[in-house]
Amino acid sequence: MGRLTDKYCIVGVGETSYSKNSGKTTRAMGAAAICNAMRDAGLGADQVNGVLSYHGGDSTAGPEIAADLGIRPDFYMDCSGGGSSTEALVGLAIGAIEVGMCETVAIFRSMNGYSEVRIGGTGRRAAAPVAGSQLLSRPYGMVSAGQNFAPVFMRHMMEYGTSSAQVAAVKVAHSKHASNNPKAFYRKRYTVDDVLNSRWICKPLHLLDCCVETDNATALIVTSAERAADLRQRPVYVMGVVGRVTKKRGDTFYNDAPITDVAGKYAAERVFGMAGVGPEDVHVTGSYDAFTFTTLLQLEDYGFCRKGEGGDYVSNGIIELGGKRPNNTSGGHLCEGYTHGMSMVIENVRQLRGQADDSCPGWQDGIHTHGYAEGGCRQVREAEISMNLGWANPVTGSALILRR
Amino acid sequence: MPQVEYRGMLLMVPDNDSEFGGYFEAAREHRLVVKKCAACGLLRFPPGSGCPWCTSLDWTWQEVRGKGTIYSYEIIAHAIQPGFRDFTPYPVIIVELDEQRGVPTPHDGLRLIANLVDDQFQPEAEANVAIGKRVDVVFQDLSPELSLPQFRLTDEPPAGSVWQFPG
Ligand SMILES: [Zn+2]
Repeated sequence: MGRLTDKYCIVGVGETSYSKNSGKTTRAMGAAAICNAMRDAGLGADQVNGVLSYHGGDSTAGPEIAADLGIRPDFYMDCSGGGSSTEALVGLAIGAIEVGMCETVAIFRSMNGYSEVRIGGTGRRAAAPVAGSQLLSRPYGMVSAGQNFAPVFMRHMMEYGTSSAQVAAVKVAHSKHASNNPKAFYRKRYTVDDVLNSRWICKPLHLLDCCVETDNATALIVTSAERAADLRQRPVYVMGVVGRVTKKRGDTFYNDAPITDVAGKYAAERVFGMAGVGPEDVHVTGSYDAFTFTTLLQLEDYGFCRKGEGGDYVSNGIIELGGKRPNNTSGGHLCEGYTHGMSMVIENVRQLRGQADDSCPGWQDGIHTHGYAEGGCRQVREAEISMNLGWANPVTGSALILRR
Repeated sequence: MPQVEYRGMLLMVPDNDSEFGGYFEAAREHRLVVKKCAACGLLRFPPGSGCPWCTSLDWTWQEVRGKGTIYSYEIIAHAIQPGFRDFTPYPVIIVELDEQRGVPTPHDGLRLIANLVDDQFQPEAEANVAIGKRVDVVFQDLSPELSLPQFRLTDEPPAGSVWQFPG
Protein backbone atom coordinates (compact mmCIF):
# COMPACT_ATOMS: atom_id res chain seq x y z
CA MET A 1 0.00 0.00 0.00
CA GLY A 2 1.58 3.29 -1.10
CA ARG A 3 2.01 6.02 1.49
CA LEU A 4 -0.17 9.03 0.70
CA THR A 5 1.35 11.06 3.48
CA ASP A 6 2.41 14.52 2.32
CA LYS A 7 1.04 14.03 -1.21
CA TYR A 8 -2.58 15.24 -0.97
CA CYS A 9 -4.32 17.92 1.03
CA ILE A 10 -7.65 19.45 1.87
CA VAL A 11 -7.13 23.12 1.04
CA GLY A 12 -10.60 24.64 1.32
CA VAL A 13 -13.77 24.09 3.32
CA GLY A 14 -17.14 25.81 3.29
CA GLU A 15 -20.80 25.42 4.04
CA THR A 16 -24.14 27.21 4.16
CA SER A 17 -26.09 27.89 7.33
CA TYR A 18 -28.04 25.12 9.08
CA SER A 19 -31.79 25.63 9.05
CA LYS A 20 -35.14 23.83 8.93
CA ASN A 21 -36.25 25.81 5.91
CA SER A 22 -33.52 27.05 3.60
CA GLY A 23 -35.94 28.55 1.09
CA LYS A 24 -33.35 27.67 -1.55
CA THR A 25 -32.75 24.87 -4.02
CA THR A 26 -30.05 22.27 -3.48
CA ARG A 27 -28.46 23.82 -6.57
CA ALA A 28 -28.18 27.25 -4.98
CA MET A 29 -26.97 25.84 -1.67
CA GLY A 30 -24.43 23.53 -3.31
CA ALA A 31 -23.04 26.41 -5.37
CA ALA A 32 -22.77 28.58 -2.27
CA ALA A 33 -20.95 25.88 -0.29
CA ILE A 34 -18.42 25.27 -3.09
CA CYS A 35 -17.99 29.02 -3.57
CA ASN A 36 -17.25 29.41 0.16
CA ALA A 37 -14.71 26.57 0.00
CA MET A 38 -13.03 28.10 -3.07
CA ARG A 39 -12.76 31.50 -1.36
CA ASP A 40 -11.42 29.80 1.76
CA ALA A 41 -8.73 28.14 -0.37
CA GLY A 42 -8.09 31.18 -2.54
CA LEU A 43 -8.99 29.26 -5.69
CA GLY A 44 -10.64 30.64 -8.82
CA ALA A 45 -13.09 28.77 -11.04
CA ASP A 46 -10.38 28.02 -13.59
CA GLN A 47 -8.32 26.27 -10.91
CA VAL A 48 -10.99 23.69 -9.98
CA ASN A 49 -11.56 20.93 -12.55
CA GLY A 50 -13.07 18.05 -10.61
CA VAL A 51 -16.51 17.88 -8.98
CA LEU A 52 -17.72 15.00 -6.82
CA SER A 53 -20.92 14.66 -4.87
CA TYR A 54 -23.11 12.08 -3.18
CA HIS A 55 -26.83 12.02 -2.64
CA GLY A 56 -29.91 9.87 -2.35
CA GLY A 57 -31.94 11.27 -5.21
CA ASP A 58 -32.37 14.46 -3.20
CA SER A 59 -29.80 16.84 -4.66
CA THR A 60 -28.54 18.59 -7.80
CA ALA A 61 -26.00 17.06 -10.18
CA GLY A 62 -22.43 18.35 -10.18
CA PRO A 63 -22.36 19.78 -13.72
CA GLU A 64 -25.30 22.12 -13.03
CA ILE A 65 -23.62 23.52 -9.94
CA ALA A 66 -20.23 23.69 -11.67
CA ALA A 67 -21.83 25.72 -14.46
CA ASP A 68 -23.20 28.19 -11.93
CA LEU A 69 -19.66 28.80 -10.70
CA GLY A 70 -17.84 28.88 -14.03
CA ILE A 71 -16.12 25.58 -13.33
CA ARG A 72 -15.49 23.33 -16.37
CA PRO A 73 -14.95 19.85 -14.97
CA ASP A 74 -12.46 17.47 -16.53
CA PHE A 75 -13.94 14.94 -14.12
CA TYR A 76 -17.22 14.71 -12.26
CA MET A 77 -19.28 11.99 -10.61
CA ASP A 78 -22.51 12.11 -8.67
CA CYS A 79 -22.46 9.05 -6.46
CA SER A 80 -25.33 7.40 -4.70
CA GLY A 81 -24.77 7.47 -0.97
CA GLY A 82 -25.24 9.13 2.37
CA GLY A 83 -23.14 8.88 5.51
CA SER A 84 -19.56 7.61 5.08
CA SER A 85 -19.42 8.97 1.51
CA THR A 86 -17.34 12.07 2.31
CA GLU A 87 -14.29 10.10 3.39
CA ALA A 88 -14.64 7.68 0.47
CA LEU A 89 -14.88 10.55 -2.03
CA VAL A 90 -11.73 12.16 -0.64
CA GLY A 91 -10.04 8.89 -1.57
CA LEU A 92 -11.65 8.86 -5.02
CA ALA A 93 -10.58 12.48 -5.58
CA ILE A 94 -6.99 11.57 -4.74
CA GLY A 95 -7.19 8.63 -7.15
CA ALA A 96 -8.54 10.81 -9.93
CA ILE A 97 -5.77 13.37 -9.40
CA GLU A 98 -3.08 10.71 -9.07
CA VAL A 99 -4.05 9.08 -12.35
CA GLY A 100 -4.17 12.44 -14.12
CA MET A 101 -7.90 12.86 -14.71
CA CYS A 102 -7.91 16.28 -13.02
CA GLU A 103 -5.91 18.46 -10.61
CA THR A 104 -8.22 19.96 -8.00
CA VAL A 105 -11.52 18.48 -6.87
CA ALA A 106 -14.48 20.09 -5.12
CA ILE A 107 -16.57 17.58 -3.14
CA PHE A 108 -20.03 18.68 -2.08
CA ARG A 109 -23.19 17.47 -0.38
CA SER A 110 -26.32 19.60 -0.68
CA MET A 111 -29.63 18.61 0.86
CA ASN A 112 -32.85 20.13 2.10
CA GLY A 113 -32.85 17.37 4.68
CA TYR A 114 -35.74 18.80 6.64
CA SER A 115 -37.87 20.92 4.34
CA GLU A 116 -37.73 18.72 1.22
CA VAL A 117 -36.57 15.11 1.57
CA ARG A 118 -36.27 13.74 5.08
CA ILE A 119 -34.11 10.69 5.71
CA GLY A 120 -36.66 8.57 7.51
CA GLY A 121 -38.72 7.66 4.48
CA THR A 122 -41.53 10.11 5.03
CA GLY A 123 -42.73 12.70 2.51
CA ARG A 124 -41.68 12.09 -1.08
CA ARG A 125 -40.04 8.75 -0.25
CA ALA A 126 -43.14 7.29 1.44
CA ALA A 127 -45.19 7.20 -1.76
CA ALA A 128 -42.99 4.66 -3.57
CA PRO A 129 -44.25 1.05 -3.74
CA VAL A 130 -42.59 -1.37 -1.34
CA ALA A 131 -40.93 -4.29 -3.16
CA GLY A 132 -37.83 -6.46 -3.12
CA SER A 133 -35.76 -6.54 0.04
CA GLN A 134 -37.77 -3.61 1.46
CA LEU A 135 -40.53 -6.16 2.01
CA LEU A 136 -38.39 -7.62 4.80
CA SER A 137 -38.58 -4.50 6.96
CA ARG A 138 -41.00 -1.74 5.87
CA PRO A 139 -44.22 -3.78 6.29
CA TYR A 140 -43.13 -4.29 9.90
CA GLY A 141 -42.95 -0.56 10.53
CA MET A 142 -39.15 -0.51 10.30
CA VAL A 143 -38.13 2.24 7.93
CA SER A 144 -36.04 5.03 9.46
CA ALA A 145 -32.35 4.86 10.31
CA GLY A 146 -33.12 4.77 14.01
CA GLN A 147 -35.60 1.95 13.58
CA ASN A 148 -33.11 0.04 11.46
CA PHE A 149 -30.19 0.45 13.88
CA ALA A 150 -32.01 0.10 17.23
CA PRO A 151 -31.81 -3.72 17.46
CA VAL A 152 -28.01 -3.45 17.08
CA PHE A 153 -27.90 -0.93 19.95
CA MET A 154 -30.20 -3.11 22.05
CA ARG A 155 -28.00 -6.14 21.53
CA HIS A 156 -24.93 -4.10 22.58
CA MET A 157 -26.68 -3.26 25.85
CA MET A 158 -27.37 -6.93 26.40
CA GLU A 159 -23.90 -8.19 25.48
CA TYR A 160 -21.86 -5.54 27.28
CA GLY A 161 -24.13 -3.98 29.89
CA THR A 162 -24.03 -0.59 28.17
CA SER A 163 -26.49 1.77 29.86
CA SER A 164 -28.70 4.54 28.50
CA ALA A 165 -26.98 7.00 30.82
CA GLN A 166 -23.56 6.15 29.39
CA VAL A 167 -24.82 6.58 25.84
CA ALA A 168 -26.48 9.88 26.76
CA ALA A 169 -23.03 11.24 27.66
CA VAL A 170 -22.36 11.51 23.91
CA LYS A 171 -25.18 14.04 23.59
CA VAL A 172 -23.92 15.87 26.67
CA ALA A 173 -20.41 16.18 25.21
CA HIS A 174 -21.49 17.19 21.73
CA SER A 175 -23.96 19.75 23.09
CA LYS A 176 -21.19 21.36 25.15
CA HIS A 177 -19.14 21.66 21.97
CA ALA A 178 -22.10 23.05 20.02
CA SER A 179 -22.62 25.74 22.64
CA ASN A 180 -19.26 27.12 21.51
CA ASN A 181 -20.09 26.90 17.82
CA PRO A 182 -22.02 29.95 16.59
CA LYS A 183 -23.11 28.02 13.45
CA ALA A 184 -24.70 25.17 15.38
CA PHE A 185 -28.45 24.71 14.98
CA TYR A 186 -28.81 23.63 18.65
CA ARG A 187 -26.47 25.52 20.98
CA LYS A 188 -28.13 24.49 24.26
CA ARG A 189 -26.15 22.34 26.69
CA TYR A 190 -27.93 19.15 27.74
CA THR A 191 -27.51 16.90 30.78
CA VAL A 192 -27.75 13.10 30.98
CA ASP A 193 -31.13 13.53 32.67
CA ASP A 194 -32.35 15.75 29.82
CA VAL A 195 -31.64 12.87 27.43
CA LEU A 196 -33.13 10.17 29.67
CA ASN A 197 -36.26 12.25 30.28
CA SER A 198 -36.86 13.02 26.61
CA ARG A 199 -39.60 11.00 24.96
CA TRP A 200 -39.04 7.58 23.45
CA ILE A 201 -38.57 7.33 19.68
CA CYS A 202 -37.71 3.65 19.37
CA LYS A 203 -36.34 1.98 22.48
CA PRO A 204 -33.49 2.13 23.35
CA LEU A 205 -33.38 5.55 21.62
CA HIS A 206 -34.80 8.70 23.22
CA LEU A 207 -35.53 11.81 21.19
CA LEU A 208 -32.26 13.39 22.33
CA ASP A 209 -30.31 10.29 21.27
CA CYS A 210 -31.24 11.21 17.69
CA CYS A 211 -29.58 13.85 15.52
CA VAL A 212 -31.12 17.04 14.19
CA GLU A 213 -32.42 17.13 10.58
CA THR A 214 -31.45 20.26 8.68
CA ASP A 215 -31.25 21.96 5.29
CA ASN A 216 -27.61 22.60 4.45
CA ALA A 217 -24.80 22.22 1.93
CA THR A 218 -21.15 21.50 2.64
CA ALA A 219 -18.04 21.42 0.45
CA LEU A 220 -14.34 20.73 0.65
CA ILE A 221 -11.52 20.93 -1.87
CA VAL A 222 -8.79 18.34 -2.42
CA THR A 223 -5.59 18.91 -4.37
CA SER A 224 -1.93 17.89 -4.43
CA ALA A 225 0.53 19.15 -1.86
CA GLU A 226 2.44 20.80 -4.70
CA ARG A 227 -0.55 22.98 -5.64
CA ALA A 228 -1.53 23.50 -2.01
CA ALA A 229 1.73 25.31 -1.35
CA ASP A 230 0.57 28.43 -3.22
CA LEU A 231 -2.90 28.59 -1.69
CA ARG A 232 -4.38 30.74 1.04
CA GLN A 233 -4.65 28.29 3.94
CA ARG A 234 -2.24 26.08 5.76
CA PRO A 235 -2.79 22.72 4.00
CA VAL A 236 -4.20 19.78 5.91
CA TYR A 237 -2.62 16.53 4.72
CA VAL A 238 -4.39 13.22 4.13
CA MET A 239 -2.55 10.48 6.01
CA GLY A 240 -4.97 7.65 5.37
CA VAL A 241 -8.38 7.11 3.86
CA VAL A 242 -10.69 4.09 3.47
CA GLY A 243 -14.29 3.71 2.40
CA ARG A 244 -16.95 2.51 2.00
CA VAL A 245 -15.93 -0.67 3.80
CA THR A 246 -18.69 -3.21 4.45
CA LYS A 247 -19.10 -6.29 6.56
CA LYS A 248 -19.51 -9.54 4.66
CA ARG A 249 -23.31 -9.43 4.79
CA GLY A 250 -23.75 -5.87 3.58
CA ASP A 251 -27.33 -6.67 2.60
CA THR A 252 -28.72 -6.61 6.14
CA PHE A 253 -27.70 -5.37 9.58
CA TYR A 254 -28.64 -8.59 11.33
CA ASN A 255 -26.91 -11.44 9.53
CA ASP A 256 -23.19 -10.81 9.96
CA ALA A 257 -22.91 -11.40 13.69
CA PRO A 258 -21.88 -10.27 16.19
CA ILE A 259 -24.21 -7.56 14.93
CA THR A 260 -22.69 -5.21 17.50
CA ASP A 261 -19.45 -5.20 15.47
CA VAL A 262 -19.57 -2.48 12.84
CA ALA A 263 -17.68 -2.02 9.57
CA GLY A 264 -14.96 -0.08 11.38
CA LYS A 265 -13.45 -3.34 12.52
CA TYR A 266 -12.43 -4.00 8.91
CA ALA A 267 -11.58 -0.39 8.08
CA ALA A 268 -9.33 0.19 11.10
CA GLU A 269 -6.37 -1.97 10.15
CA ARG A 270 -6.33 -0.63 6.61
CA VAL A 271 -6.55 3.07 7.48
CA PHE A 272 -4.11 3.01 10.41
CA GLY A 273 -1.69 0.95 8.33
CA MET A 274 -1.87 3.49 5.52
CA ALA A 275 -1.35 6.41 7.90
CA GLY A 276 1.39 4.76 9.93
CA VAL A 277 -0.24 5.82 13.19
CA GLY A 278 -2.55 4.21 15.74
CA PRO A 279 -5.55 5.36 17.77
CA GLU A 280 -3.27 6.65 20.55
CA ASP A 281 -1.72 9.14 18.11
CA VAL A 282 -5.05 10.79 17.22
CA HIS A 283 -5.81 14.07 19.02
CA VAL A 284 -9.37 14.71 17.91
CA THR A 285 -12.04 12.42 16.45
CA GLY A 286 -15.10 13.09 14.35
CA SER A 287 -17.60 10.27 14.61
CA TYR A 288 -20.80 9.95 12.65
CA ASP A 289 -23.35 10.77 15.34
CA ALA A 290 -26.63 10.17 13.58
CA PHE A 291 -27.40 8.75 17.02
CA THR A 292 -25.53 8.89 20.30
CA PHE A 293 -24.98 5.14 20.01
CA THR A 294 -23.30 5.24 16.58
CA THR A 295 -20.42 7.24 18.09
CA LEU A 296 -19.86 4.60 20.73
CA LEU A 297 -19.82 1.69 18.27
CA GLN A 298 -17.36 3.39 15.95
CA LEU A 299 -14.96 4.43 18.71
CA GLU A 300 -14.87 0.82 19.87
CA ASP A 301 -14.26 -0.75 16.51
CA TYR A 302 -11.57 1.74 15.49
CA GLY A 303 -9.75 0.78 18.68
CA PHE A 304 -10.05 3.96 20.76
CA CYS A 305 -11.21 1.64 23.51
CA ARG A 306 -11.73 -2.08 23.83
CA LYS A 307 -14.83 -3.73 22.39
CA GLY A 308 -17.66 -3.44 24.87
CA GLU A 309 -16.03 -0.59 26.82
CA GLY A 310 -17.49 2.18 24.68
CA GLY A 311 -20.03 3.06 27.35
CA ASP A 312 -17.21 3.91 29.74
CA TYR A 313 -15.11 5.66 27.08
CA VAL A 314 -17.84 8.09 26.06
CA SER A 315 -18.96 8.88 29.60
CA ASN A 316 -15.68 9.55 31.42
CA GLY A 317 -14.77 12.91 29.90
CA ILE A 318 -12.31 11.72 27.25
CA ILE A 319 -14.51 12.86 24.34
CA GLU A 320 -15.22 16.34 25.75
CA LEU A 321 -13.28 19.50 24.96
CA GLY A 322 -10.52 19.60 27.56
CA GLY A 323 -10.51 15.78 27.63
CA LYS A 324 -7.86 13.50 26.20
CA ARG A 325 -9.45 13.10 22.78
CA PRO A 326 -12.43 15.33 22.04
CA ASN A 327 -15.01 14.03 19.60
CA ASN A 328 -17.19 16.14 17.29
CA THR A 329 -15.98 19.50 18.53
CA SER A 330 -18.55 21.26 16.32
CA GLY A 331 -21.44 19.53 18.05
CA GLY A 332 -21.79 17.08 15.20
CA HIS A 333 -25.01 15.82 13.73
CA LEU A 334 -26.59 15.67 17.16
CA CYS A 335 -26.36 19.45 17.58
CA GLU A 336 -24.65 21.40 14.80
CA GLY A 337 -26.67 20.08 11.86
CA TYR A 338 -26.94 17.20 9.45
CA THR A 339 -25.24 16.92 6.08
CA HIS A 340 -24.27 13.28 5.90
CA GLY A 341 -20.88 13.44 7.53
CA MET A 342 -19.04 16.15 5.63
CA SER A 343 -19.50 18.74 8.38
CA MET A 344 -17.36 16.66 10.76
CA VAL A 345 -14.54 16.51 8.20
CA ILE A 346 -14.77 20.29 7.76
CA GLU A 347 -14.58 20.73 11.54
CA ASN A 348 -11.44 18.61 11.79
CA VAL A 349 -9.78 20.59 9.00
CA ARG A 350 -10.47 23.78 10.96
CA GLN A 351 -9.17 22.19 14.17
CA LEU A 352 -5.90 21.20 12.48
CA ARG A 353 -5.51 24.72 11.10
CA GLY A 354 -6.14 26.13 14.58
CA GLN A 355 -9.14 27.93 13.11
CA ALA A 356 -12.14 26.59 14.98
CA ASP A 357 -14.70 29.36 14.34
CA ASP A 358 -15.71 29.90 17.96
CA SER A 359 -16.25 33.05 20.01
CA CYS A 360 -12.55 33.79 20.46
CA PRO A 361 -11.96 37.17 18.76
CA GLY A 362 -8.74 36.00 17.11
CA TRP A 363 -9.89 32.60 15.87
CA GLN A 364 -9.15 33.44 12.23
CA ASP A 365 -5.52 34.01 13.16
CA GLY A 366 -5.42 30.91 15.32
CA ILE A 367 -5.58 32.82 18.62
CA HIS A 368 -7.68 30.93 21.15
CA THR A 369 -8.33 31.08 24.90
CA HIS A 370 -8.88 27.34 25.29
CA GLY A 371 -11.52 28.20 27.88
CA TYR A 372 -14.26 25.73 27.12
CA ALA A 373 -17.04 27.20 29.26
CA GLU A 374 -20.38 27.83 27.55
CA GLY A 375 -20.11 30.35 24.77
CA GLY A 376 -16.32 30.21 24.77
CA CYS A 377 -13.56 28.45 22.85
CA ARG A 378 -13.72 25.11 21.10
CA GLN A 379 -10.20 24.88 19.68
CA VAL A 380 -8.35 21.75 20.80
CA ARG A 381 -4.82 22.51 22.03
CA GLU A 382 -2.06 21.40 19.69
CA ALA A 383 -4.33 19.32 17.49
CA GLU A 384 -1.99 17.69 14.99
CA ILE A 385 -3.78 14.52 13.91
CA SER A 386 -7.51 14.06 13.47
CA MET A 387 -9.62 11.12 12.45
CA ASN A 388 -13.09 10.95 10.93
CA LEU A 389 -15.19 7.84 11.41
CA GLY A 390 -17.75 7.68 8.64
CA TRP A 391 -20.93 5.65 9.05
CA ALA A 392 -23.73 4.78 6.67
CA ASN A 393 -25.11 2.00 8.82
CA PRO A 394 -23.73 -0.73 11.09
CA VAL A 395 -22.34 -2.68 8.13
CA THR A 396 -20.90 0.23 6.08
CA GLY A 397 -18.26 2.73 7.14
CA SER A 398 -15.30 4.90 6.11
CA ALA A 399 -12.38 6.60 7.79
CA LEU A 400 -10.08 9.55 7.13
CA ILE A 401 -6.92 10.46 9.04
CA LEU A 402 -5.64 14.02 8.59
CA ARG A 403 -2.62 15.91 9.91
CA ARG A 404 -1.53 19.51 9.89
CA MET B 1 -48.33 -9.62 -9.65
CA PRO B 2 -49.44 -9.83 -6.00
CA GLN B 3 -49.95 -6.41 -4.48
CA VAL B 4 -51.87 -5.05 -1.56
CA GLU B 5 -52.31 -1.80 0.31
CA TYR B 6 -51.24 -2.21 3.93
CA ARG B 7 -50.98 0.61 6.48
CA GLY B 8 -50.63 3.22 3.77
CA MET B 9 -47.99 1.33 1.77
CA LEU B 10 -48.40 -0.42 -1.56
CA LEU B 11 -46.68 -3.77 -1.07
CA MET B 12 -45.92 -5.59 -4.32
CA VAL B 13 -44.08 -8.66 -5.51
CA PRO B 14 -43.23 -8.18 -9.20
CA ASP B 15 -43.47 -11.28 -11.41
CA ASN B 16 -39.73 -11.24 -12.07
CA ASP B 17 -38.78 -11.12 -8.39
CA SER B 18 -36.51 -14.15 -8.23
CA GLU B 19 -35.48 -13.31 -4.65
CA PHE B 20 -38.83 -12.91 -2.95
CA GLY B 21 -41.44 -14.34 -5.35
CA GLY B 22 -41.21 -17.88 -4.00
CA TYR B 23 -40.95 -16.62 -0.43
CA PHE B 24 -44.30 -14.86 -0.64
CA GLU B 25 -45.89 -17.67 -2.66
CA ALA B 26 -45.05 -19.98 0.23
CA ALA B 27 -46.24 -17.41 2.78
CA ARG B 28 -49.62 -17.37 1.03
CA GLU B 29 -49.79 -21.11 1.80
CA HIS B 30 -48.67 -20.36 5.37
CA ARG B 31 -45.29 -21.96 4.87
CA LEU B 32 -41.98 -20.26 5.77
CA VAL B 33 -39.20 -20.96 3.29
CA VAL B 34 -35.55 -19.99 2.94
CA LYS B 35 -33.14 -20.67 0.10
CA LYS B 36 -30.95 -23.75 0.07
CA CYS B 37 -27.71 -23.74 -1.90
CA ALA B 38 -27.68 -26.53 -4.48
CA ALA B 39 -23.89 -26.79 -4.27
CA CYS B 40 -22.92 -26.63 -0.57
CA GLY B 41 -26.34 -27.31 0.93
CA LEU B 42 -26.30 -24.36 3.32
CA LEU B 43 -29.54 -22.47 3.99
CA ARG B 44 -29.63 -18.70 3.69
CA PHE B 45 -31.84 -15.77 4.55
CA PRO B 46 -32.54 -13.23 3.13
CA PRO B 47 -33.08 -15.22 -0.08
CA GLY B 48 -30.31 -13.59 -2.11
CA SER B 49 -29.49 -14.58 -5.67
CA GLY B 50 -26.28 -16.45 -4.82
CA CYS B 51 -24.65 -18.34 -1.97
CA PRO B 52 -22.63 -16.17 0.45
CA TRP B 53 -20.63 -19.25 1.43
CA CYS B 54 -19.66 -20.83 -1.91
CA THR B 55 -20.80 -18.32 -4.61
CA SER B 56 -23.04 -20.90 -6.34
CA LEU B 57 -26.02 -19.41 -8.17
CA ASP B 58 -28.05 -22.63 -8.00
CA TRP B 59 -30.62 -22.98 -5.25
CA THR B 60 -33.97 -24.43 -4.23
CA TRP B 61 -36.61 -23.31 -1.72
CA GLN B 62 -36.52 -25.14 1.59
CA GLU B 63 -39.32 -25.08 4.12
CA VAL B 64 -38.36 -24.40 7.75
CA ARG B 65 -40.44 -24.99 10.90
CA GLY B 66 -40.72 -21.32 11.75
CA LYS B 67 -39.66 -21.74 15.36
CA GLY B 68 -36.93 -19.60 16.78
CA THR B 69 -35.59 -17.31 19.47
CA ILE B 70 -35.65 -13.52 19.80
CA TYR B 71 -32.09 -12.39 18.97
CA SER B 72 -32.72 -8.65 19.46
CA TYR B 73 -35.60 -6.20 19.37
CA GLU B 74 -36.78 -2.64 19.68
CA ILE B 75 -40.00 -1.01 20.85
CA ILE B 76 -41.17 1.66 18.45
CA ALA B 77 -42.96 4.45 20.29
CA HIS B 78 -42.93 7.05 17.53
CA ALA B 79 -44.17 5.68 14.21
CA ILE B 80 -42.51 7.19 11.14
CA GLN B 81 -45.09 5.80 8.72
CA PRO B 82 -48.51 7.41 9.35
CA GLY B 83 -50.18 4.00 8.88
CA PHE B 84 -48.38 2.68 11.96
CA ARG B 85 -49.51 5.44 14.35
CA ASP B 86 -52.41 3.36 15.67
CA PHE B 87 -50.04 0.37 16.09
CA THR B 88 -47.67 2.03 18.61
CA PRO B 89 -46.00 1.03 20.78
CA TYR B 90 -45.01 -1.99 18.72
CA PRO B 91 -42.12 -4.43 18.91
CA VAL B 92 -39.89 -5.16 15.95
CA ILE B 93 -37.89 -8.31 16.61
CA ILE B 94 -34.99 -10.13 15.00
CA VAL B 95 -35.81 -13.85 15.09
CA GLU B 96 -33.07 -16.44 14.92
CA LEU B 97 -34.57 -19.61 13.47
CA ASP B 98 -33.77 -23.01 14.98
CA GLU B 99 -32.38 -24.37 11.73
CA GLN B 100 -28.65 -23.99 11.08
CA ARG B 101 -27.84 -22.03 14.26
CA GLY B 102 -24.10 -21.50 14.63
CA VAL B 103 -23.37 -22.87 11.15
CA PRO B 104 -21.05 -22.43 9.29
CA THR B 105 -19.44 -20.20 11.96
CA PRO B 106 -20.51 -19.89 15.61
CA HIS B 107 -22.05 -16.47 14.97
CA ASP B 108 -24.10 -17.42 11.93
CA GLY B 109 -27.79 -18.09 11.89
CA LEU B 110 -30.94 -17.60 9.84
CA ARG B 111 -32.33 -14.29 11.08
CA LEU B 112 -35.34 -12.32 9.96
CA ILE B 113 -37.36 -9.27 10.97
CA ALA B 114 -40.99 -9.33 12.11
CA ASN B 115 -43.41 -7.84 14.58
CA LEU B 116 -44.09 -9.78 17.74
CA VAL B 117 -47.89 -10.01 17.69
CA ASP B 118 -50.73 -11.44 19.75
CA ASP B 119 -53.64 -13.64 18.63
CA GLN B 120 -55.30 -10.69 16.89
CA PHE B 121 -52.10 -9.59 15.12
CA GLN B 122 -51.88 -6.66 17.49
CA PRO B 123 -48.51 -5.71 19.01
CA GLU B 124 -47.42 -7.96 21.89
CA ALA B 125 -47.20 -6.09 25.20
CA GLU B 126 -43.77 -4.63 25.81
CA ALA B 127 -43.48 -6.39 29.18
CA ASN B 128 -43.52 -9.72 27.33
CA VAL B 129 -40.76 -8.92 24.83
CA ALA B 130 -37.23 -10.06 25.67
CA ILE B 131 -34.11 -11.41 24.01
CA GLY B 132 -33.98 -15.19 24.41
CA LYS B 133 -37.75 -15.81 24.38
CA ARG B 134 -39.12 -18.52 22.09
CA VAL B 135 -41.35 -17.62 19.15
CA ASP B 136 -43.28 -19.30 16.37
CA VAL B 137 -44.24 -18.02 12.93
CA VAL B 138 -47.84 -17.01 12.14
CA PHE B 139 -49.12 -15.67 8.86
CA GLN B 140 -51.07 -12.45 8.61
CA ASP B 141 -53.28 -12.62 5.49
CA LEU B 142 -53.31 -9.11 4.04
CA SER B 143 -55.22 -10.25 0.94
CA PRO B 144 -55.97 -13.59 -0.74
CA GLU B 145 -52.67 -13.32 -2.58
CA LEU B 146 -50.29 -11.74 -0.04
CA SER B 147 -49.53 -12.90 3.49
CA LEU B 148 -46.96 -11.52 5.88
CA PRO B 149 -44.91 -13.78 8.15
CA GLN B 150 -45.18 -12.57 11.76
CA PHE B 151 -44.16 -14.14 15.07
CA ARG B 152 -45.91 -14.99 18.34
CA LEU B 153 -44.57 -16.04 21.73
CA THR B 154 -44.79 -19.76 22.47
CA ASP B 155 -45.21 -21.59 25.77
CA GLU B 156 -41.75 -23.12 25.46
CA PRO B 157 -39.20 -22.13 28.09
CA PRO B 158 -36.47 -19.81 26.80
CA ALA B 159 -33.41 -21.39 25.23
CA GLY B 160 -31.01 -19.73 27.66
CA SER B 161 -30.98 -16.60 29.73
CA VAL B 162 -33.53 -13.91 28.93
CA TRP B 163 -32.65 -10.20 28.69
CA GLN B 164 -35.00 -7.27 28.65
CA PHE B 165 -34.25 -3.56 28.16
CA PRO B 166 -34.37 -1.99 31.62
CA GLY B 167 -35.55 1.44 30.42
ZN1 LIG C 1 -23.26 -22.64 -1.27
